[in-house]
Order: sequence, then structure tokens, then C-alpha cells
Amino acid sequence: MPAVAVDAMGGEHAPEAVVQAVAAVSLQTDIECVLVGDAARLEKLLESTAYDPERIALVHAPEVIGMADEPRSAVRYKRKSSLLLALRQVVSGRCAAVVSAGNPGAAIAASLRELRVLPQVRKAALAGVYPRAIEHAGQDPLALVLDVGATVRCSADELVQFAVMGATYARLISKVADPRVALLNMGRDAAQGDEVLVTAHRRLRELRGFNFVGNIQGHELTSGHADVVVCEGLLGNIVMRLLESVATAAVDLTSSAAPRNWRLRAGMAIMASGSERLRAQADYATYGGAPLLGFEQIFIKAHARSQAPAIANAVKVAAKAARDGLVPALKAALAEVG
Amino acid sequence: MPGAPAPGDAVPSPAVQDPVAPTARAPRLFGLLARRRRAAAAPAERLVFRWDLDKTYLLSEFESLREMMKIPFEKPEDKIAAPGVAALIRGLRESALSRGRTVRIYFLSASPPQIGRAIRRKLELDGIVYDGIVFKDQLQRLFRGKFRHLREQVGYKLTELLKGRSVEPAAAREYLFGDDWESDPLIYSLYADVAAGRVAPGDLAELLRHARADPPLIEEARQLAIALPKGEAVARIFINLERPTPPAALRIYGARLVPTFNYFQSAACLFQDDVLSVDGVVRVARALVEESNYQGVQLENSLADVVRRGHVSADSATALRRALGRAGLLPPFARTFAERLRAAWRRAARPITLDATAARVDYHAIVSGQTAEAAAE
Repeated sequence: MPAVAVDAMGGEHAPEAVVQAVAAVSLQTDIECVLVGDAARLEKLLESTAYDPERIALVHAPEVIGMADEPRSAVRYKRKSSLLLALRQVVSGRCAAVVSAGNPGAAIAASLRELRVLPQVRKAALAGVYPRAIEHAGQDPLALVLDVGATVRCSADELVQFAVMGATYARLISKVADPRVALLNMGRDAAQGDEVLVTAHRRLRELRGFNFVGNIQGHELTSGHADVVVCEGLLGNIVMRLLESVATAAVDLTSSAAPRNWRLRAGMAIMASGSERLRAQADYATYGGAPLLGFEQIFIKAHARSQAPAIANAVKVAAKAARDGLVPALKAALAEVG
Repeated sequence: MPGAPAPGDAVPSPAVQDPVAPTARAPRLFGLLARRRRAAAAPAERLVFRWDLDKTYLLSEFESLREMMKIPFEKPEDKIAAPGVAALIRGLRESALSRGRTVRIYFLSASPPQIGRAIRRKLELDGIVYDGIVFKDQLQRLFRGKFRHLREQVGYKLTELLKGRSVEPAAAREYLFGDDWESDPLIYSLYADVAAGRVAPGDLAELLRHARADPPLIEEARQLAIALPKGEAVARIFINLERPTPPAALRIYGARLVPTFNYFQSAACLFQDDVLSVDGVVRVARALVEESNYQGVQLENSLADVVRRGHVSADSATALRRALGRAGLLPPFARTFAERLRAAWRRAARPITLDATAARVDYHAIVSGQTAEAAAE
């Protein structure tokens, strides 16, 4: 199994959750993890956890990029941060992939600084995953949306590349045989939206062997019509934040209403197992990670609020992406599009 | 543990007992003269290695009743030794003998003597030369109707260890090997502290009562503890982590006890203690690579882990990396001047202090905890 570099200091629950995740991965799989962070803290945490030392290496990083740090200056001045040193593990060839739950802006800025962009790629895209309705048996309960923040505005060609990269990832990693790709727009009509969206729609429709299902509107995102949703970074970021906040608000509203009304309390008690399942499905802190696509190296970005199981999943996804040859597959798919 | 080998036990072969290989550094004649002078001046140092069998030497499966029932019917060739353990035991004997030390290797098992033949044959197949093996007479306990004592290990193992100690020279240095499956950390630490005089015979008896040991064994252990000449007998205790036990959970026993994840880590610690030669460590590593498909990176990570936990010094680790690199088990170990400087700076900034001294262990608290745990189970 390929080695995975893990930014041990990134994320709201780091380094505890990251160390727990890596320790669990070391016991469950044969993936080797290189934990990058404050060695003294990591050693202490690791020793208090059950782990397999044969599959864990430690690399000391004296600096940390915090969640509140301004991404560009943090990447520029914190050269010995856990994030940058983790990325260098991949660049040097020691590891095949990197995982971080840290500052997303810094993750993108650091990747642009340290990693090599694929020859055909104009802009890298950060993907995100969200839960959606399942229309048929065997369908992945999570859909992929990209870009969610690596860009602000994009050209039509860039959106087409995002679609190709997203579909390749869904096929290879999520095992969706023929991923349905949609373009996020304000209406279903191909002529709707600005020139970029209209051109992107036309180009995607013309692609051969590509399952483009047309435009998708905001209210259809959770319907299960599409496996991969393509949009600009600005829009994607707003959509992802909105989806997360709706899930949180729904849980909060129900919880706050329950104590006031005994009927509601009784009803919630009856529905407890169902609502727990719903909460688990809507809890983006347990999903694992989504890729930053468009680089010669694999970067899986876990949600900043990720707990140990989510980070462990992100590590497994990273190893799987490296083992199954995500980068060569992306290169081949992009070369076909031209 | 009796000194005389049981019937059928292998005895050290003359070839292994003869420690006359010239060292690379000294000319043969001077080496021989120096060795003769040393031999005439002082009795040879005695090293004693005591091994638990199940989950320490053998990868026995007894998590379920079904697996337990299978053990007596297993053929010697079906029994699987832990990766690297046989190479380590062979290396320990060779290293000791080549340095003019005398060596004793004993096995202490909680299995019944009925499986003794298969175990002895297995040790023979693995090329293990040993000096004694003790089994627990479960039938005798059954006849006495002591069903509860069938699974009680503290009293049984401690008594056997004290018996074994009583036949060794007072200066003999012991290395104990167990696992985290039963009570080996407690038994071995208690034995070391009784031998050192830190736990009085009266306290020992009280602890054994608390641990619900077999009453005749409690008195026997107390008498043995009284008769024992006191001294720091136990140099190190190695606990093979077979369960998902965090190493920090065993810190209560002090730095003398080393939790290890594989026998390469034990070998590195024994090299640190000058008990195993560098060649011995290389042979253990080779056994792991060739017999258990270990990769170089696993060896490297295992070594880094024992260094971080303060059981092996950075200098010893460097020596081992060089030797493993020469043997082709790790990538060749060559560092640039800048890398050496950085490593020295890191060591100076975060020094790792090696400490194998005994700590004051609160046995009453540990036994209370274990008793409560057993009751809960």
C-alpha cells in the first residue's frame, strides 16, 4: 500500500482526532501514514492510543497554520508548517498522497505553491461531497460537487475540465460505473445563464462517451439526478456552506422545540433511531474527505470539523486513489477532451 | 523454575557452548590471553532469559473456547512462532557465549504438561536450545476441585519464577519476556521487586491473597521470597503487545518494562543493553523480512518508535540502521554533513533520556484494578 502524509495539526480537533485516526488506520489496514506535526505532542498522544508502529512514521513540523490564519501569508511565512511539510513528503516521493483537515484556503494556496499542476489543467478544483437522495439501489449516497473554493470565476473550458476530472474521480473512487454529470445553473434550459455556462453546456453535450445530464437547479441538488455537479468556486462554496447550515439548523430547530412540548418530545423519542440515522447522514464531519483535483499529486481535503472516523476515511480514500492510479486516469481523461 | 532440563529437552550443544571466536578488533593471541585472564579473575557473567510460551513465543489462538480446545490436538509443525522470536533466542545465546558469558534460557507456560511433547518438538524444529520448560499441572488442580485456579496465573507463575531464581547465582541478570494477554506485566514486575527486596514477603503474600491466588502457592511464594538473596535481578521486562494496548497503559510499571510490537524492537533494546550483537539484530530483521514479508519501511518505523519511547538511544539506532543498510534490509544509510548536523541539533533540542530503572509500583492498586476488571467480565 502507498504511504499517505497526514497533516497532524490541521483541523478543529487536531491533533487528537488526527492521531486517533492514523492509529486506527494502522491497526485496520496496511496503509503507512507519515504524521507531520509537533513531534513531542504527537508522540505523547500516540503512546496513549493503541497503534501499530510498523505503519506510522513521524515528521516534526515546528509551525502550524491555524484555521484563522490568512491563507496566502501563512503559506508564505510558515514554511515549516505541518501542511507544507506534509505536501513536501509527497513532492519528494516519500508519500503518494496527502491528507489535511486544516485551513482550506491555506491548503489550496500551499498546493499551488508546492505541487505540480497536470499539463492539460488550467485551474485546479476543490471537490466537496454532500448527501443526496438515492434514486436506485447501489447508488452512492454522496454526490460530488466541484469546484467549492479553489477558484472564484471560471471559463467554459475550465468548467469542462472540472466535469471530466469529477467524473473520473467518481468512476475510479466512488465506483460509479457511468457517473451522471450536471452543470449547476438557474434553469434547465441550455440557453439559460451567462455565456460561460451556455458554452460549457454546449461543450459538455458534445463530449463523446460522457454522461452529461444537462443543467441542474439548486432545489434538485439533493434529488439524486446527478453524481457530479460542476460549478464555479464562488457558487460551489456558497452551495456547500448552505447545505451544511441547513442540516445543522434542522437538527438545532428540532432539538430546541422538543423541550417545550411533551407531544413533540414523545414523537422524537419514537423517531429517535430514524432521526439518528438522518443526523449521521447529514453530518458532514463524518464523511471523510474530498479531493483537490488537477495536480500531479493526490491531495484529499477533509472537513475542518472532521473527527477521527472522518479523517481515517480520508486517509483510506487517499491510499485508494494512489493505489488505483487516479492521477494517470485524470491525465488520460483530460487528454481525450483535449 | 527447575534448573535441570525436563526429559526430552534439548541441551546446549558443545559447538554453541564454545565461545572462542576471535574478535575483529584484537589479534587472536591477545584476545585469547585477555579472555583467559578474565576467566581466571572472575566467574563468567550469567544471563537468564525467561519466556512465556502462548502469545509470546507462539502465536496461540485461545480467544474462544473452540480455539482453546484445538490447542492440545495441534501438531508441532502446525504451531506458529511469533515472527523473529526464534532468531532472537538463537542470537541471544550466541551473543552471550561469544562474549564469555554463561546463558540460561527457560520457558514458563500456563499450558498443561500434556501438550509438552508438541511444544518441545516445536522448539526443536525452530532450532531453539533451552535449559528448562515448566508447564502448569492443570489436572492436579482439577482433582483438587480448584476450578477457579485453572485460570489463575499470578500465584502460579510467580512461585515458579521465584523457584527458578533460587537456583541461579545471585549476580545473574535476567530478561523476562511476556505478553499483554494475561498478567505478565504484573507478575514479572512483582517478581523483579521481590527479588530486589522492594516488596517484602509479607506484602507479597497479601498481594497474592488479594489476587485470589491458590492458598498453598501463597505460602510457598512467601517462603521462597524470604529465602531469596536480594539484588537487582531483572534488567528488563519485554511485553509483546498482542492486544490493542496503548504502550502508555503499561507506564505504571516503570521504564524497566518495555512494551514491544514486534521482536525487532526487542532485539534493538537488547542491543542497546549490550546483550545482543548487531549481527543478532540483523538476523532478527532478516527473519522478519524473509519469513513474514516485512518491508524495510516497517523495520525503520519500528526502530524509530522504540527510539521515541526512550528505550533505544539515537546512537544505537544509527549503528543499527548502518548494519541493516549493509545487510540490504534498509536503504543504505548515508547522511550528508548537513543532515548529520540537523540530527545532532534535533537531539540536542529534544534529548531522549534512556531509563531502565525500576519505578515504585503501586501493586495494590494494580491488583485491585485487575480484580475489579475480572469481576466485571
